[in-house]
Amino acid sequence: MKPLNNVAEFMSKQFMNVKNYLYKNYGEAPGKMLVHTGVLGWILSSAAQVTAVMFNDKISAKEKLFLIPQECADAGVNIISFYLVTNTLKNIGSKLVSTGKLVTPKIKQYIKQNNLTEEIGKITTDIKKGMTGDIREHYTDFKNGVDVITSTTGAILSCNIITPVLRNQYAANKQKEVLAKKNANIKSPSLEYTSFHKPLRMTDYQLNAYSKYSSNMKI
Amino acid sequence: MLGINISNTAFYRTAKAGGQRVQQAFYDCLPNSVVGSEKWQKRIKWIGSEISSPENRLILGATALMSQPFIDAKNKAVDEDTRKVSVCRTVAKIIAGTTTGFLIRKGCISAIKNWSKLPSSVDKNGVRVKLTKLNTLFSPSKAGSDISEAFKQYQNAIGTILALVVMMFTNFLIDAPLTKFLTNKFVKHSGGVNNETSK
Repeated sequence: MKPLNNVAEFMSKQFMNVKNYLYKNYGEAPGKMLVHTGVLGWILSSAAQVTAVMFNDKISAKEKLFLIPQECADAGVNIISFYLVTNTLKNIGSKLVSTGKLVTPKIKQYIKQNNLTEEIGKITTDIKKGMTGDIREHYTDFKNGVDVITSTTGAILSCNIITPVLRNQYAANKQKEVLAKKNANIKSPSLEYTSFHKPLRMTDYQLNAYSKYSSNMKI
Repeated sequence: MLGINISNTAFYRTAKAGGQRVQQAFYDCLPNSVVGSEKWQKRIKWIGSEISSPENRLILGATALMSQPFIDAKNKAVDEDTRKVSVCRTVAKIIAGTTTGFLIRKGCISAIKNWSKLPSSVDKNGVRVKLTKLNTLFSPSKAGSDISEAFKQYQNAIGTILALVVMMFTNFLIDAPLTKFLTNKFVKHSGGVNNETSK
């Protein structure tokens, strides 16, 4: 029983370390938590999609060879676009507050009292250093609010504007490629011209839209 | 073994200095601002404290409804019937995803609140909570008080992570069938399509 107890003890210690790590890292940074869990959400939903393709008996091995890399590429675009846009905007908001460029009158007064006016706007400045008591709490509340606003704005831009536009473009190009390949096999010049230049048809769209493996859904 | 610390190389130092100059130039362009209004300061504080992942998901869903269907409706790369179904499906997907996303996040955060009690925790009547293995399962040892803002944000973070794991499954079990059901309803409601091929 002793080795088992040791394993349980080890696991329990590791779990406690994880909890303390999360407490330390996200306790005072809700904006960072939103960005990180947003990325984790995309990773998990993409992993679920890829797994669904891998274990779907209705999809042939040959199709899987095409679909799995395609799902991975789609996931890559989603994750990178979300992280880059959301994190960049959040970092800009954070930096504006920590360098003293965006302040409240109370923080402005603190900057004056501590002779930090010359340091305002320098990217290496962190006005939080040396803050204690009420002013630290006031600063943290203000910075957390700015972080949440900027990270939410980033997520809106990324998920609702950039990604759908890119995905529509990508899907349309992909469909044209597939149609072009199909037409090349038929080897009929007239058919090739008509099908290739037609917009995506209902048949093609619905087959993709309703198939179990073609929709990457945000969770 | 040759131990090369990249941060000591001239290339790294030059690249870092260059990056910092670009960043500094960017921040120099932004004006200094003071949020003078008490009302706005309170609003910003409230957002930082109260807007967490469930509310964030709701905001994303609401703004998605205001943008994505229009992006799909203006997609000239597909024919008219396809555009119609595409818009219906997008709306259905947003409604299904936002509803389940919001409810599961809220539920998981609420569960974590019950499973992360501290020695200082009291119930609604002000009586100390009896600590058990279950109600301390997610309690960090470094947290001092369960009424602190940091502890609340920690509970939101753990609850959100748990919700994401749950949603890996509900994505297939609830979101996908609900999306399909709502899409068919919306397509039917919008008068159907001429070239319908599958359901």
